[in-house]
Amino acid sequence: MLSQTRQQGGLKKFLLQRYRRWLSRRLPAARTITLEQRRLFIFPSRQGFLFAFTLLLMLLTAINYQNNLAYGLTFWLAMLFIVAVHFTHANLLKMVITSMGAESVYPGQQAEFFFRISCTSPRRGHHAVKLIWSDSEVMIDVPAAGEVDVSLHHKVNSRGWFEAPRLRIESTYPLGLLRCWSFAQFDVRALVWPKPVSINQWTSPDTEKASVGFSEQEGLDDLMGFRNYRVGDAPRLIDWRSHARGQPLQTKLYSLPVQEDHWLDWHNLGAGSVEQRLSWLCWLVLQHHQRGENFGLRLPDAELSVAAGDRQRDLALRALALYGLSEGRAE
Amino acid sequence: MISGEQLPRRSLLWLIACQIAVMLPHLERVPLWVVMIYLATALWRLQMFRQRAEMPNKWLRLLLGIAGATLLFISYGTFVGLEPMVALLLVAAALKILESIRERDGYLLVFLGFFICVTHFIFIQTLPATLYTVCCTGLLVTALITLNQNPSGGISNREPALAIKMLTLAVPMMVVLFFLFPRIGPIWSVPSSSGQGKTGMSDFLRPGAVTKLGRSADVAFRAGFSDVIPANSALYWRGLVLSKFDEGAWRTLQWRELPVSERQGVPPEVFGDPLQYRVLLEPTQQRWLYGIAYAKSPTAGVYEASDYRLGVVNPVEFQFGYDVTSWPASVLQPNLSDWRRRVETEFPKGINPLTEVWVRDLRRQYSNDRDFVGALLNYFRTQPFFYTLEPPEILSSDFVDQFIFNSRRGFCEHFAYSFVAMLRMVGIPARIVAGYQGGEVNPLNNTVVVRQFDAHAWAEVWMDGEGWIRVDPTAAVSPSRIEFGLEAALEGASGFLSDSIISAYRFRGIRVLNWMRLRYDALAFGWQSFIVSFDSARQIELLRGWFGEIKVSWFVTLLLGSWAAILLPLMLWLSRERSVQRLLPEERRFVDLCSRLEQRGLHRPFGEAPLRTLRRVREHLPEGDPLYGALEDAVANLYAKASKP
Repeated sequence: MLSQTRQQGGLKKFLLQRYRRWLSRRLPAARTITLEQRRLFIFPSRQGFLFAFTLLLMLLTAINYQNNLAYGLTFWLAMLFIVAVHFTHANLLKMVITSMGAESVYPGQQAEFFFRISCTSPRRGHHAVKLIWSDSEVMIDVPAAGEVDVSLHHKVNSRGWFEAPRLRIESTYPLGLLRCWSFAQFDVRALVWPKPVSINQWTSPDTEKASVGFSEQEGLDDLMGFRNYRVGDAPRLIDWRSHARGQPLQTKLYSLPVQEDHWLDWHNLGAGSVEQRLSWLCWLVLQHHQRGENFGLRLPDAELSVAAGDRQRDLALRALALYGLSEGRAE
Repeated sequence: MISGEQLPRRSLLWLIACQIAVMLPHLERVPLWVVMIYLATALWRLQMFRQRAEMPNKWLRLLLGIAGATLLFISYGTFVGLEPMVALLLVAAALKILESIRERDGYLLVFLGFFICVTHFIFIQTLPATLYTVCCTGLLVTALITLNQNPSGGISNREPALAIKMLTLAVPMMVVLFFLFPRIGPIWSVPSSSGQGKTGMSDFLRPGAVTKLGRSADVAFRAGFSDVIPANSALYWRGLVLSKFDEGAWRTLQWRELPVSERQGVPPEVFGDPLQYRVLLEPTQQRWLYGIAYAKSPTAGVYEASDYRLGVVNPVEFQFGYDVTSWPASVLQPNLSDWRRRVETEFPKGINPLTEVWVRDLRRQYSNDRDFVGALLNYFRTQPFFYTLEPPEILSSDFVDQFIFNSRRGFCEHFAYSFVAMLRMVGIPARIVAGYQGGEVNPLNNTVVVRQFDAHAWAEVWMDGEGWIRVDPTAAVSPSRIEFGLEAALEGASGFLSDSIISAYRFRGIRVLNWMRLRYDALAFGWQSFIVSFDSARQIELLRGWFGEIKVSWFVTLLLGSWAAILLPLMLWLSRERSVQRLLPEERRFVDLCSRLEQRGLHRPFGEAPLRTLRRVREHLPEGDPLYGALEDAVANLYAKASKP
């Protein structure tokens, strides 16, 4: 009995695997997916079967009462079903879905993926289209020749890259008697950072003095001067007041106090597993970033030179997230 | 998302509208309380919609269901039968409105609505009623669309248009299926309607009790002639043959009263030019049909009685169409059997003493049967007899005495009764025939429309060698009744059509209206004869006419062909859309220039920024190339356009 179940389970797993392989071959991953003819599947919905049952009753009534008008109505509705096949199919046909990236998150949170759904037809929109993930679902209307941005969430559990799972796109519009659906595998992933865990006894053994300098970092200290705007400068640092007076864009510079360089070193941590260490380091990175301090990161296989700011934090977190993962090295 | 499971608020209004619309045609055949339940549940549900009322709990709903079923049983006394079943369906739909919370309840209501639409057709199949049900179908499909809309999306008002479009696209295939689907007999017997609203003639004749003959302009039947329509005075539509005088009333001989030898009628020798026509009888709930003597019908289910009338085994509950061939010149029953002669001369003696004496005197003067009949008709013609629909009441048993010598006012039945009675008193075989006389000719489709007010009774007299001949005593009194119809006979009298004030028949004095009325009647006849009474015989005839022989492959080909009739326009529509990519003029200019670059071998990868393209091609194009200048202008225009808000 037990072996049989296992066998069945094995068979099911095998079939599921084959199905998934077939699907990914048929519907390969891409950044932009157009729902072409061969991507769409269509089948009567549960309501469709109920409708068919109603039609059967109507047909029996027509036969038993020999009533031509009842025949006519029955056939009319039956043919409406056929027409609905084409309309339901056409509702999803040529819909274009573009993945617009994802936000990085910590494990246990919901990773947010962004999509842009556009309609290439100038006259016919896409109505009541559902985008479904296992724990997130959204229904949208795309106007003719228009586009709609949506975000979908997916819960993530472990650090590293989280590949967007296969998205199910379905619609029963207009009559609900048929369900047309498709799967879209997007070539997009979200970075999942290690979970930050606080560490109390931490002393940076090799703190180095740094020179006084300028920084674009806004601090408590006085404004030191301006320089010309460069692409990438934070909007809050731009001197909008002078720009409003007609001058070119200027970026504000602040003086920095004497800064210490902190090294966050893998080897200076107390005993702990790899994941623990990564979690501690993650917490430390966030702490230092919050205080606006300069820091560098040393991992067994990589080193990040000392710097400060959002970019430094992101680089550090990315290094931590991908530590020890094969994909991370490939990057 | 939970909201997707719930009934969208917008579709609720459509659903309630649909349910009320599909209930309305049944208004006349369900008890009033069913309608009240409908309105009550609809109102309650609307209050729930406006969040002013709570949904009744499970027990209250169960109680309502039981109460509905009990009321039904009290109203009808049974659940078996067409009307109780329809009422049950309606009550179920009404209660379903109340508890429609989820989306699937909405679907159920719509499907229930479709089924109720089919029940409309069981009772009424006229053109206006059909159009109404078609509108109901449109409403139901619209409700179905609203169920599938994005509840949080922008509301568009295009659902009815979409419903109409989809239903229109379904029509070609529906028509093909309608004509091709094999018409098989009933699989099991179904309850029929209880025959409410029995109209038309009754199966006995007792004119003395009638003081006011109410006659409506309702259509009794229509007859479509394949050739020339005979004159109005020849259109005697025989229905019943009343040979038996029983307890003061004339009635038809029942089958069990006939001796075995008489049960099978002897078909007469036919001669003369036959009349070919098809009769479409409105439901009568009776077992007899109408035709011009001598009538024969090839239609299945129609039998011929021994007194040459047409009948059917089961009462005519729905509109019934049958083909008739008539030979008006035929001699009916040239040889009268002794039994028949005895029955057709039977009349109780001594109840009309005055008349008996008088006819015996008359008979002495006219020993020849034909002369005697002529003398009686002459009496009616010369004495002050009047044709009226409001005769005085004659309740005493000496009806003939009272009518002939006293009141002398009556309608066709009075004259036919007295005439036949007087003939029987002297031993001449005679009987009353009830049916319709005349009718309105619609020249647009060569039909005769016979209405209830064309109902008539006349006499048949048997004469040696000539068989049964038709004699109409009313014609002697009021010739215009026969020549021009009832209305002419009653010119100036108020009684005519007083029952049907809004009948379109009243307005036939106005030429355009009359033309429209006739046009409509022709359409209704076509509808009834071609669509409503379409059957397997007609189907085979039609298919033979189209294809010569009937093959399954033809069915499939036609069906797929009609599918293509939908698919092709749809695909054309979709493919045309692809080519209509609306570009701004600036964009088009740039795209045009890019294709010229392509000709020079300069490929622009998909998605490349135009500015980048410009920079890239600069190196490849010779100095001062006009194409480069044009491209520069185009790109500048493109960016200028894009940066505008």
